[in-house]
Amino acid sequence: MNLTIGKRKSKGGLVIAKRHFVTSVTLPLLLYESLGLFVLGWAVVLMFFDYSPGRLGGPILGLGGSNPFVGLGHFIQMIKGTSVEANLFRISLRNTLIFAVAVLPLNLAITLPLAWLLESIGTRFKALYRTIYFLPVLTSSVGVALIWLSMYDPQAGWINAIIRAVGGSPVAWLSDPRAGFANVSVAMWAVILAYLWQDYGYNMVIFIAALQGIPQELKEAALIDGANPWQAFRKISLPLIRPTMLFVCVMTMLSSFQIFDIIQVMTNGDPNNQTQVLMLDIYKSAFRYQNMGWAAAESFVLFLIVMGVTILQMRLLRTEWEY
Amino acid sequence: MKHKILTLLFVLTFVLTACGTKATPAPTEPAGGQAPVAAVTEPAEPVVLRMWVHTNNAFIAGYEPLIAAYKSAHPNVDIQLENFDYELYLQTLQTAMPAGEEADILQLFGTWTSQYYERLAPVPADVMTIEQAKQTFYAAPIGGYIVNDVLYGMPQEFNMEYGGVLVNRTKFEAAGLTYPPSWQTMDDVLADAQKLVEKDASDMMSTAGFHFTSADPTWASFLAGIKQRGGDYWNADRTGFTFNTPEARAHVQWMVDAVKAGVVDPIVFNDSTNFVIDAFFQGKVGIGYIGAWAIAEGQANFPDFADKWDYAYLPSIQGDPVFVADSGWGLTVSPNSKNQAVAWDFIKFVTTDVANATQWNIASGTIPAMPAVAESADIASAMPWVPKALNILPFGQYMGSMPDRDLVMYEIIYPHILNVLQGVETVDQALEAIDTEANSTFE
Repeated sequence: MNLTIGKRKSKGGLVIAKRHFVTSVTLPLLLYESLGLFVLGWAVVLMFFDYSPGRLGGPILGLGGSNPFVGLGHFIQMIKGTSVEANLFRISLRNTLIFAVAVLPLNLAITLPLAWLLESIGTRFKALYRTIYFLPVLTSSVGVALIWLSMYDPQAGWINAIIRAVGGSPVAWLSDPRAGFANVSVAMWAVILAYLWQDYGYNMVIFIAALQGIPQELKEAALIDGANPWQAFRKISLPLIRPTMLFVCVMTMLSSFQIFDIIQVMTNGDPNNQTQVLMLDIYKSAFRYQNMGWAAAESFVLFLIVMGVTILQMRLLRTEWEY
Repeated sequence: MKHKILTLLFVLTFVLTACGTKATPAPTEPAGGQAPVAAVTEPAEPVVLRMWVHTNNAFIAGYEPLIAAYKSAHPNVDIQLENFDYELYLQTLQTAMPAGEEADILQLFGTWTSQYYERLAPVPADVMTIEQAKQTFYAAPIGGYIVNDVLYGMPQEFNMEYGGVLVNRTKFEAAGLTYPPSWQTMDDVLADAQKLVEKDASDMMSTAGFHFTSADPTWASFLAGIKQRGGDYWNADRTGFTFNTPEARAHVQWMVDAVKAGVVDPIVFNDSTNFVIDAFFQGKVGIGYIGAWAIAEGQANFPDFADKWDYAYLPSIQGDPVFVADSGWGLTVSPNSKNQAVAWDFIKFVTTDVANATQWNIASGTIPAMPAVAESADIASAMPWVPKALNILPFGQYMGSMPDRDLVMYEIIYPHILNVLQGVETVDQALEAIDTEANSTFE
């Protein structure tokens, strides 16, 4: 009897201890999260004000007064305004879409075949190649940008040196607004190439892991049935890595929409704003031109776009099966 | 990488939340444009002043001995110098000022004053009146520190982007040109520049004869060109810009003609590729259009540059060498400072004492904001290019308070003119766009 009561007491103590533990862990997290929600809410408020930190503004949080309420004014400006901010926003949005639309298929076109090839070679070299291909991911974006900047140098870069050596005309890769390919400026292609070089190892490793997760017997069965390796890849492996494909597409699209550091170092939006992307425009609006209200509105638009694209991708690529 | 939007939103909002946590006291409206503050006496208690400046080693080397000298004369005062990389400094000011956490003494660029004046302390009348300031400093640098007839700081340099050029004497000699040049007109300059141009085997320009296509020289010569041709870029009541004018068109066309004459290829020589200071001190430029401030920076960044060089001044486009300048770096005081009187005393010590100002200008390699300093023998000896500028410095006018000077210069005027020079926009399209976009900054 006493033993039972003692057991109950200790069980109750354990429950209380668990509750204390849960409370002590979750409360700070909840506070932290609510702080995050509060500041996000503050950003939402700012979208409706022409707010600059250089101005005193009204008595409540600096809103009003010389930081006036503009309602949906920023969003109307973005659509049909003629100000330099509005023009730059539309140019930046277009460039961001070009960048993201170009990067995603190119990235998949590089990483998926490469992962398939690496997955099929012997284990002796697999780790070596995987390390080599993954190294750029570990390199700082600024470092990558500087490396490519020197390669693209119109006078001393080795890309133009090769072109000269074969008798071609050198190109000002990052500063010629007239040069383009497929209606996209050469500068944008140059930046895309640098970005792909840095980023492809990340997706490649994810694809390798996905390909390794496919049961070997499925592939063997296909081969026994007479499929060649390409058919086995197309008909067996590719459909089975669809969930991974979804993850890779979403993450690559997200990173592409948020491209900033490489472009800031390599071109800072030049030439003729042909590489000015939304994140760079937001940064300049907020911190160079002190237009925080406008920058908050731009951030919100970018958030909506990213959310929309992510939902769309999830609907298109989702699967309802597992293996 | 994957969370940049959220990060940016967080940064923006966190910063702005901080803005609301502590209200900056509104500066006392000064009577007659000046706020009365008791003259400084030696503080009985120790006073610590924090001073923020942007990171420029030459500038800091100028401040340090002056701080030491002031501390030596005022043992109860300690001045702590903190410096920030330029971009970081902008961000720090924007976050700290609304939160009321800024330093006591703030280094500001004159034209920024019109953006920050609500968060700055006016100069007390017993420290300096506007009239005294106008008599002490050149018109262009002091103009930036006066907003709505209130003086908010004291300039240390005359930021002159117009008219000065770095000249590579070694290339002059190699091209068979005489040095010093006897340029009477800009045509003379272009004639020399054509002889300085070098191209590689693939016909790409490797040396620009006259590199005037970076951002600062482009807007500075554009505004000066308008003024020298008798025009103005301000409307009558200074509530808007007038960039689409015959004078503006004539000047942009002059630039186009200079590019056609082959003195520079704006595709490979502009602000982002072969920036004029870097290109000049790497031996890729014969004549490089840039303010004298570039000398100290170039020497510091390219110590191995072996060519002989000099700094010279261009003739005017026509008539008097009228030009506009955007003030220059100077010192201001936070209204949140508990020791404003001491802070102003230090600023006066640094900026208006001729010997101290001379020392700072020599160390920083900047053109003095005070005529008394610019004309001194010490300056002539240490910076021989300054006496050459004395003839044109009095023609300098303050460019005027703009809602957003950086936006107008670097996102509107320069990109459109560069587009014209690079052949992707016509002169008329550019001027129309400049006029529309620049005027939209007033909205």
